[in-house]
Amino acid sequence: MARPRMIGDHGQAMALVRTPTKAFWLTALLLVAFSAPIWMSNGLLFLLIAGLAYVVGAIGLNLVTGFAGQLSLGHAFFLAVGAYTATFISSESTGTTVGLGIPEILVWLPAAGIVAGLAGLLVGPIATRLKGLYLAIVTLGLVFVGDHVLREWSSLTGGVGFGRAAPDPTLLGIDLARTGPILGIEVARSALLYWFSLVVAIVLTILALNLVRSRIGRAFQAVRDRDVAAEVMGIDLTRTKLIAFTVSSAYAGLAGAMFAMRLETIEATQFNLLLSFLFIAMILVGGISSIPGAIVGALLIATLPSMAGPISDVVTPIFDVLAFWRGDAGFPLDTFQLEQLLYGSLLITFVLLEPRGLMGLWLRIRNYWRAFPFSY
Amino acid sequence: MSAIATPPTLDRPVTDAPVLRLRGHAADPPSPVALREKHLGVWQDITWEEYWDQAELVGHALLSLGIEVGDRVAVQGENRFEWVTTDFGTQAIRAACMGLYPTNPSAEVGYMLADAGARVLVAEDQEQVDKVLELDRGDLPDLEVVVYLEERGVRDYDDDRLLSWVDFLERGRAHREAHPRAVDERLADIADDDLAVLIYTSGTTGPPKGAMITVANINFAIATAGSADGFFQPPIGPGDWLLSYLPLCHVYERLLTSWLGAGLGATVHFAESIDTVTRDLAEVQPTIFATVPRILEKMHAGVSVRMASASRLKRANWAVWSGVATRIGAAKVANNGNHTPATRALEAAGEVFLFRALKERLGLQHARAAVSGAAPIAPELLEFFMGIGVPVSEAYGQTENCALATSNPLDDIRLGTVGRPVPGIELKLDEDNNEILVRHPAVFAGYWNRPDATAETIDADGWLHSGDVGEWEGQHLRIVDRIKDIIITAGGKNISPSEIENSLKTSPFIKEAIVIGDRRKFISALIGIDGDIVGNWAQARKITYTTYRDLTERPEVVDLVAGEVATTNAKFARVEEVKQFRLLPKELDEDDGEVTATQKVKRTAIERIFAALIDDMYSGGRRPAHGGAGTDAGSDADDGSDAGSGA
Repeated sequence: MARPRMIGDHGQAMALVRTPTKAFWLTALLLVAFSAPIWMSNGLLFLLIAGLAYVVGAIGLNLVTGFAGQLSLGHAFFLAVGAYTATFISSESTGTTVGLGIPEILVWLPAAGIVAGLAGLLVGPIATRLKGLYLAIVTLGLVFVGDHVLREWSSLTGGVGFGRAAPDPTLLGIDLARTGPILGIEVARSALLYWFSLVVAIVLTILALNLVRSRIGRAFQAVRDRDVAAEVMGIDLTRTKLIAFTVSSAYAGLAGAMFAMRLETIEATQFNLLLSFLFIAMILVGGISSIPGAIVGALLIATLPSMAGPISDVVTPIFDVLAFWRGDAGFPLDTFQLEQLLYGSLLITFVLLEPRGLMGLWLRIRNYWRAFPFSY
Repeated sequence: MSAIATPPTLDRPVTDAPVLRLRGHAADPPSPVALREKHLGVWQDITWEEYWDQAELVGHALLSLGIEVGDRVAVQGENRFEWVTTDFGTQAIRAACMGLYPTNPSAEVGYMLADAGARVLVAEDQEQVDKVLELDRGDLPDLEVVVYLEERGVRDYDDDRLLSWVDFLERGRAHREAHPRAVDERLADIADDDLAVLIYTSGTTGPPKGAMITVANINFAIATAGSADGFFQPPIGPGDWLLSYLPLCHVYERLLTSWLGAGLGATVHFAESIDTVTRDLAEVQPTIFATVPRILEKMHAGVSVRMASASRLKRANWAVWSGVATRIGAAKVANNGNHTPATRALEAAGEVFLFRALKERLGLQHARAAVSGAAPIAPELLEFFMGIGVPVSEAYGQTENCALATSNPLDDIRLGTVGRPVPGIELKLDEDNNEILVRHPAVFAGYWNRPDATAETIDADGWLHSGDVGEWEGQHLRIVDRIKDIIITAGGKNISPSEIENSLKTSPFIKEAIVIGDRRKFISALIGIDGDIVGNWAQARKITYTTYRDLTERPEVVDLVAGEVATTNAKFARVEEVKQFRLLPKELDEDDGEVTATQKVKRTAIERIFAALIDDMYSGGRRPAHGGAGTDAGSDADDGSDAGSGA
């Protein structure tokens, strides 16, 4: 007889999958995720690969901003560090760019994480001395510095407007980007790339979940809730903030590398302030300080472009009627404009109505049924 | 666990004594876990081997202190592992264990320890140790050792009687090393008429008396209550989960936890405290739920209050399905607790929408039987629980007969009765005054040091006089009231106050009700409101108040209670109507001598303490702060004489 409320040991209390129901739905979700290349269209799958990179990046940002409470606008910088580390290692030197020519993914992917993590460790000491808005300004500066460096360092980036070839995803000698039937089954293009990204994202998710329910994770949250109180409890503020920045940057680096590997070329100006904001949007819409929230938010933002098309089809005729607007405001909207509008309105809606994001919505629904037949 | 290594060479059947049953379970565990105790939010398992090992250690420790056969060892504390191992450890060396309520005030502790001549006291913590240490040593000449379980606050006490539990067990270990067979040697001589436990009655009148329960008494109680047609069908056994939260020094919880639970191999869970019972219940989800009316009243009140503040949809759902529950309950009551095809179908539907979730929240999802005892309960409550699919019924028993008298078999529940006599015992009503008489091998050996009281209770033929008036309803027994509580109004009509009180107490707002009217011209009541629930009610209506007393003086609250009283009056004959009531200005408290440790109201004390309120009711006074509507509980005071003469 099941007695889910009865806690028999601490392991049970901290378990990630506590009930058979949870286990069932998790299995179902994993089955859907792994079978996606079989039933999903190419375009959507390509978006999902970016989505998985976003997932890793959003988890990283949520660790430092959501859990440890350190607002960071510099996430794009660390993504860039990861992406260019990966590219530098994997591609050969050409006339204009330098590279090591080691295509093995098991080399350049961890390297991207490590280098970005080290960058985070370097920036960390500044961050530990600052709080709130000041920290935000400093990390904002980081993005601009990074942007400038990338624009100028053309032997690494290939120069503005040109870019260089994206890293070559080769796993133990197998080219993950190859297409065609796999084991006789006709699956979508880049299926291998997708599966690899999925595994990486799952592993990093589990790592993050373990981190936040550990002593360090609790220290993060104590620092977020009240740094003075945390210090009084014996938490080393500097150390905790450093760990938060380092881990978060490493996640961003891995995300940058994963993001880059699905592209043909990467370009220096991609890693701008807008990208940082996109990640903030992901964790806000998904749910601040929640790993599942970061995942949901990242996937939602990643798939938004595919929704922008159909929405634009609906909206454009309405604007067409308002002909007097068209001339001076540049209507009808193209899908990119609509995308930006959607990001903006999503952010405003969530901050106003559900500050805890989609996760907050879900918790509300779950608590409604958990308390049933009462309200509390 | 070196104790388990020694093979059980003791040549006695395990059913010879309760402690031998525990010893047998250690050798051949009936279930993986014997006990569970909650520490820092986590339930810790205790196996049968560990259970017996510690009990045996206690036995050795007591031997090292020189405890002889028949000596008394006392224990005072909440239900916990050390409590039951002290109980069994004491019995293992043929001494007798007596429990004290953790709420007993110092003077009563002193009285009972001196009366029993206890040589060792196991006290839970500083609070309990203080109660003994503040007494004059000369008043407790027999008390040699006070063992304390929690060291906090006691460590620096300077009293040569104090001994920490750790040191106590250490003594036991040393003794076991030196004399490994010492406990077994005592066990080998256990006799049927050994005094096993001394249970002090709570004493609603006069000082507590120690009921002597022998080994044979307990054995008969286990055999009878645990037989196929005993208390539960099928009887308690391995696989059953119990929650131990009522005081262990009372016969009711001792029967469940130590005699049936440990004796028959069920798994017992110790609640964190009496205040966390609701939460512990939801976690443990026991299969057998033994309870008292107060707990069921609290559960029922909690459901109404929480439902009232639920969201719209949930309230609508509740309105529909609680209506269905009422219908199922009524149908089941009419059918002696059994399903009809219609109720079966309704219940299956209700399970989906309400009952399952509600039972889960209450902690009764797995309860195959629930029994209410120790005090009379309002039938409406039982009907409610029956309606949501919890088979609950009343049982009846006393300390003096090891709680063995009547129970409702699950397939033949009659509401308002305490059930049929348990098979294997004799029970009859006295021809003169309908007093319930019981005779069986679990009837106690007498009161400790009180041959006079024993002679009053057990007659020459061995019949135990219960002091309760009963009447037969077919084969079921209905308890009318305590003989001495029956009210004879000035009009000469016999009225049972407890029936009216219980009806009043079904209201979530009313916690206590004391009906008065003996040799008076009409019935009145002192009513104690439930501070929390009425407080919530008042807050929801923006009625400001400061203290409990202030709350009872709000005219709105008086009106609220008047409405509840009127509801009760509608259920009774005119002479039994409560014509006047007053709200008690304070919550009844054991320390003030108003209730016993088991929260039973001491009537005489109440009538003395609140004499002014009572006089006010009978002197034609109106309720304070509430002019004209002051008598809306009934009609005018003069009306009472009418009613009385009409009887």
